Parts: sequence; structure tokens; C-alpha cells
Amino acid sequence: MSTAVHLDEITKRFPGVVANDDVDLTVERGTVHALLGENGAGKTTLMNILYGLYEPTEGTVYVDGEPRDFDSPADAIEAGVGMIHQHFMLVDPMTVAENIVLGNEPRKWFGTTVDRERARQEVIDLSQRYGFDVNPDDTIEDVSVGVQQRVEILKALYRGAEILILDEPTAVLTPQEVEELFEVFEELTAQGKTIIFISHKLGEAMHAADDITVLRDGKNVGTVKADETSNEELAELMVGREVLLEPKSAHREPGKQVLSVENVHADDNRGIEAVSDVSFDIREGEVFGIAGVDGNGQSQLVETITGLREPTSGQITYKGRDITRASRRSRIEDGMAYIPEDRHERGLVMDFDLVQNGILGSQHSSKFSSGGSIDWSTARGHAERIISEYDVRPPHADADAESFSGGNQQKFIVGREFEREPDFVVATHPTRGVDIGAMEFIHERLLDLRQQGKAVLLISSKLDEVQGLSDRLGVMHDGELMDIVDPRNTTEEEIGLLMAGERPGWSDTEIDTANPSVGDAQ
Amino acid sequence: MSTTTIDQLRDTELSYRMFLAAGAIAVFSFIAFFGLVFPESIWADLLGILISRSTLSSALRLAVPITFAALGGIFAEKAGVINIGLEGLLIISAFTAVITTAVIGPGVTILGLPAIWVGFFAGVLASLAFSLIFAVVCIRFKADQIIAGLAVWLIALGLAPFAATVYYGGVNTDNVGTTLGTWTIPVLSDIPFFGALFDAGPAVYMMLIAVPASWFVLNRTAFGRHIRASGENPKALDTVGVDVSRVRYAGVLLSGFLSGIGGSALSLGLGQFIGNNQTMVNGKGFIAIVAYLFGNYNPLGAFGASFLFAGLEAVQIRLQQVPGYAIPDSLIQTIPYITVIVILALVGRTRIPQAAGEHYDTGEDNR
Repeated sequence: MSTAVHLDEITKRFPGVVANDDVDLTVERGTVHALLGENGAGKTTLMNILYGLYEPTEGTVYVDGEPRDFDSPADAIEAGVGMIHQHFMLVDPMTVAENIVLGNEPRKWFGTTVDRERARQEVIDLSQRYGFDVNPDDTIEDVSVGVQQRVEILKALYRGAEILILDEPTAVLTPQEVEELFEVFEELTAQGKTIIFISHKLGEAMHAADDITVLRDGKNVGTVKADETSNEELAELMVGREVLLEPKSAHREPGKQVLSVENVHADDNRGIEAVSDVSFDIREGEVFGIAGVDGNGQSQLVETITGLREPTSGQITYKGRDITRASRRSRIEDGMAYIPEDRHERGLVMDFDLVQNGILGSQHSSKFSSGGSIDWSTARGHAERIISEYDVRPPHADADAESFSGGNQQKFIVGREFEREPDFVVATHPTRGVDIGAMEFIHERLLDLRQQGKAVLLISSKLDEVQGLSDRLGVMHDGELMDIVDPRNTTEEEIGLLMAGERPGWSDTEIDTANPSVGDAQ
Repeated sequence: MSTTTIDQLRDTELSYRMFLAAGAIAVFSFIAFFGLVFPESIWADLLGILISRSTLSSALRLAVPITFAALGGIFAEKAGVINIGLEGLLIISAFTAVITTAVIGPGVTILGLPAIWVGFFAGVLASLAFSLIFAVVCIRFKADQIIAGLAVWLIALGLAPFAATVYYGGVNTDNVGTTLGTWTIPVLSDIPFFGALFDAGPAVYMMLIAVPASWFVLNRTAFGRHIRASGENPKALDTVGVDVSRVRYAGVLLSGFLSGIGGSALSLGLGQFIGNNQTMVNGKGFIAIVAYLFGNYNPLGAFGASFLFAGLEAVQIRLQQVPGYAIPDSLIQTIPYITVIVILALVGRTRIPQAAGEHYDTGEDNR
């Protein structure tokens, strides 16, 4: 086996930060290599160096045994290195084939015109060769994220990539699509391609990679073979201390009802019913989880509860008061916190700094404002407290929100919402995109809130997360609440069936559907 | 779920087009029916105007500046730069074309080219120069495109009548005594009604070539694809090694070039530049923006919309001459704007390029 990539003592310094510190990395041809580490560990920087986006401050990049000095991605592509970024670089209204050949269009008629037939045929040949299921004539905006990712991979292959770098390729995929992606990896390596993928998920690295390199604080803390290591060893390498992988869920007796949702129906933005007749309640000191594949009405349900969408019928009661049509502001003032699902769209204002973002939603509160003007020094203190308590890095309250990585943005939002001292927290995908250290921290804080007698509504597409944290678990499918189960006495398979819309026979399970609050019967 | 969305979109698009077509046919048959049944009524007069060859002829002539500016606007906006200064480009080229012809003196030829054609190209060059300044300000210096575009309009609106005043002592230039004239194609021009297509000014022929050519460039050439990618997702273009700035400069300069043809043709068709109020351009650059939005950034659609607006104006001008039915032209001139509000608000079919109006940073070395 020969070496495809060798990074020799790479150091990259940005003003005030050492992103990569003397990193060595060797990747063998025809293997899958996972680059594992927490947010800010320097994984993406290292790969951007290999892809020619950054120049290393010190050190040398070897591709196929030869030292290379890439000035731009064009040089890297020339040397057979392709990169698939976390945010896809695709043109939405163009077709799959048009995107794949963009910039390298085959021409006809003396180079004046794109040879569309040839482009199409080349794309078909390429996808058949690697067993990809893509239709060259589909428009990008009409295909799923998984297909878009395959188009990105094809784009790199079309340009002759032998080494493919994927930055967090699974972050946007459904579990099935993740499986399909890993099958693609196998097909590609079988044909001699080399794959490096960035991840902060242990399970994926263990599952899909041959070798795993762990980066921490910009340093290579170890390269291990996937079949000679364990989750615990990797987690310790990543975080630098022992980590609790399973959230502890001490039981607490729930108190009086905080929120009640009765027969709620709601439409999505296109006017199609997305939530059908959903009813449940949440009590003090309880985590109510909702599991389900994304897009089964969870978003719309949460929006009716938080006041962002008016239900078409049904009633929502909060602290004994009908809030079905209450304003968002009154709900916030009444102690409802909300960690939104889309942090760019609803969590933060990207070109505000953290001081401004820190008071969003509390701008009317007497804590920060008097006589219509905001007390910026209090607001700054507030932001700095969130930054230090929730370990937001880098700790710059004056920096714009968009300059932070996704994980740090998420930590800041979680901090802001928890600092409201809420009575009820709606947490939608609270750990999406954060590293395991932060995930553990957010889980602990959610359980702390429960211990303090607060109510929590937790929506997550990660089944282990909702199952591990919830006292009761509702499963949604196609807008309906299929069932409410006790997560401790229900297997993953049973929940999976409910998520797929199948109700197992009542007699076969331990689930008591007549009593929705089965969780506190023990 | 995504497939149902697509189907719905296609359905609305289809029904919208059918609605438009059905509406047009209904209006025409209404007029035709009443026109034939009541030969003394307004319907008969309208019918007469609609099917007259001179109406088609003047609709084509009036469509020239709107169409060229709309084509230019498509290239700029598809590339990601909203060029709201089309009006200014029309004004400056219209004025430059006439003043150049006047300075050279009609009848004089330069390198075998009659003065009026030298003026024509000078107008195009002036528009190109203005659009180059606009491009540098917007792309190199990342100015707000809307404000820069308004500046182009306001500068041209002030500069052209001012220069005319300096040279002629009034905001209007003198008539140069010559026009671009008409090129008549024998035999074909004898066809009733449609003969107007073959008995028209040179700019009309240019327009009839420029429209399909623009469509071809946008949809069939690599350059056109780069233009579209640059306006939708410039980063995608950058990462495959195409220089986004260069594509955007090309898009804006093309808008200057095409608007220049439109402006020169407008003033040289008359032989004079009129600088009163909004000048002789009188909002045609803005109607062009409406036209390409109406046409959903498709050159053929934009031409259709330009021709519709020009046709309405032609009918309106003819109606003025029929005693008793003088419709105020200011009322007719609101029609394009009402149309665009209806299109944008109610139909919502126009798909604005995603990155239009946004500056593009390569993102290298900033972190």
C-alpha cells in the first residue's frame, strides 16, 4: 500500500490563534481515514491546507510522495485532491449534469457552445462506474440532500480527484443516507480512491473509517486503527479526559401540569396539514421527548407551542392559561425558553455581535432596558457570562455571530435561553452540530432544569438522545403523534417502527396507550 | 413530499400561462366581435388599430430601447449585479449618439462610416463607459448596487440635459436632420400586416437578432452558465476555478453594451435628443426592469413583455388620433407597473437569482 497523503509537521497560525500545531498525518491509498475532533480542534483548517485554501505557516504537504505547494484549490484539483465542503457548492436551479461539469464544460462548434449531450453522457458514465444513483436531468433544488452530496462527490471525481476530502459529510443526512454514503465510500476505495472525512461523531468514525486520527487543540493526539480502538478510548483522546457517553437520567416525581396541547392541527407554509390532532401534556420536573424522522410535523408543532405559527384548530394551555393565540412576546415573558431548530434563521442575527444576540428576546425586559433604551453595559456583562459559563470559543463578545463555528453558536443560544431562568424549555435539536464535550454539558443542563422542577420539551432526530433524556417519549409520524411510550421500557426497534408509521399490536408491547403519563407510574 | 411541491409549482406555472393566453384571446375576440357587429363603435376603431400594419410597425420601434435595456438587465442580474441604472445608460447613450453625429456633421463619413453610425457606436461606448464605472464601484469597491444604480440614472439625467444646454443653449439638442431610416426588404415587406417586420429601422432587425442570441448565450454557452451560476451561487463557481468577478464584470458590461444600442437607436430614430423632464427616455429603463421580471429573466419572455408594453403605447398613440377617445397617456404608462405588481405579488412566478445584489468575497485569508 502506498501513501496518498502525507502532511509533515504542519503548523498554521492565524493572528492570535494556533489552529494547527506541528501536525503529522499519513493517509494510505485506498483507505478511509477519519479526522476526529471537537469543534475548533483544527480539523477543517488542516484540510483547507491540503486543499490549497490556506498556506501552512510551517511544514510540507506531500501528495503521492511528492512535496506540493498549493496556492489555490485549482492546484490541489490538478494534483488530484478534491474537497466536498459542509455547505454544498451547488447551483440550485441548474441540473445535476450542469453542476457537475460547471467550469469544465465540454464544448462543441469550435468551443462556442456547451456539448450538452456529451456532458450528460459523461455524467451517466461516471455515476454508473461508481454505482451512484443520480439522474443527470434532475434540478438540484428538487433532489434530496443525500443526492446533492453525491453530486458534489461526482463533481470532484469529474475533475479527476483521487483523494476526496469530506467536511462533516453526515451532518445533514438522515440515518439511511448516512448508510448509503458509507456504501459509496466502500465503492470508491475499492476503485483505489482515498477518502478523508472530518467528523465529531465517534460512532461514524468507528463504523466507516479504516484509520482514525484524533485532533485536539490543533495537535494530533493519536492515529489509531478503527478495529483496534473503542468509543471510550476515542472520546478520551478527543476531550482529554474521561467522558460520560450515556446521559444519566435520575428520576424525579413530576409535579403539576405546565403545558397541555389538545387536538392541535396546523398547516405548513404551503397550506398542507402538517400536524394532525396532536395531544399531550408536560408537567413540572419532566422531560417530554418527541422522536421522529425530520419533517414529520415536529417543526410545525413546536412553532404552534412557541407562538410562531397559529394552529388551525385545537388548544394550547400553558400554566393554566389558554395561550393558543398569545403573542410570542407574552410567552417569553411567561418563562418559555426556546432553542430553535435553525440557528441561522431563528437563533441568532448573524451580523449582530454576541452582546446584541445575548439580549434577543429579552430586549424588553427591565433587566436590560429602561425608558426604551438598552443598557449596553449590563448586556455586555450578560453576554460575557454566557460565554464563560457555556465555554463559547473564542471568548469575544464583540465578534459577529457569523464568525463563530456552528457548535459555538449553538452553545451561545443554549446559554442565552437557559439564562432566562425559564419555567419551560422547548429544545429543538439542542445538540445539533456540537461536539461531545458540549453535548454532555447541554444534556447535563437539561437534566439540571428538570431537577429544579422545570418542564422540558425535547425534540431531536437523534434517537439515543431523546430516548436517554426523556421521561416520556412521543413518536411523530406524518403529523400524527403515533404513541407516547416509556423510553426506558421500549426498545429502539419499537420506536423505529413507530417512526416509520407502524403501530405494533398493542398486546405485544408493554406500552400503555390509555394512560399517556405512563412514565411516572413506576 | 418534495415531489408534490414540484408538481404544484408546475401546475401553477402552467395555469398561469394558460390564464394569460386565454385572457389575451378573450380580450381580442371581445374587441373583434363587437368591432364587427357594431362598425360604428369604439370596438371597431380599436379593432382597426390593432390589425393595422402601422401599429405593429410603431410597436416594434417603441419596443427597441425597452428590449435592449431588458436584455442587458438580464445579463447583469443573472450574474448577480442588479443594474437599476438601465435608465441612465439609455439616457447617456441617446444623448451621446446625437451629439456625436451633430459634431461630426451629418453627411460626413469617417472611414467609410456615415456620421450617424459613428454616433450610434459612440452612444454604445458611452453606455459601456458608464456601466464600467458602475461595475467597478459595485464589484471592486462593493458599493450598494441599488444606490450605485440610482446614481448612474441621476448622473445621466443631470449630465445629458446640462451638456445639451452648454452646447445648444437648451435641454434639447437640435435635430441632426438625418435618422437611421428604414431598411426595406423587397417582396417580404409587401405582406399585409406582418410586412412591417421587413420594413423597419435597422435597430428593429438588431433587436430581432439580439433576443434569440441572448437566449442562446445564456442557455447554451459555458459563459452563460457561468453567468447564471455567478448570480445563484458564486461560491460554487469560485470553487471550480472560475473567476466570479470577471464573470460579473462581463455581465454588467454586456448590460451597458445592449442598453447603449437601445439608447442610440431611440434618439437616432428621431434625429434629436429631448432633455425635458425625464428626457426622451422617460422611464423606458425602468419599464425594461419590469419587462425582464415579467419575462422571468428569459430573453424571449422579456421581449414578449417589452413588445406588450410597447404595443399598448402604440395603440394609445393611435387612439389619441381618433377623435373622442383620447386616453391620457399617463394612464397607459401606469400599465407596466401595475402589471409587475400583479405578477410579483399575486403570481409570484418570477424567480430572482439567489445571490443577486450580494457582494462576493472569495473568503480566502479571512478568518
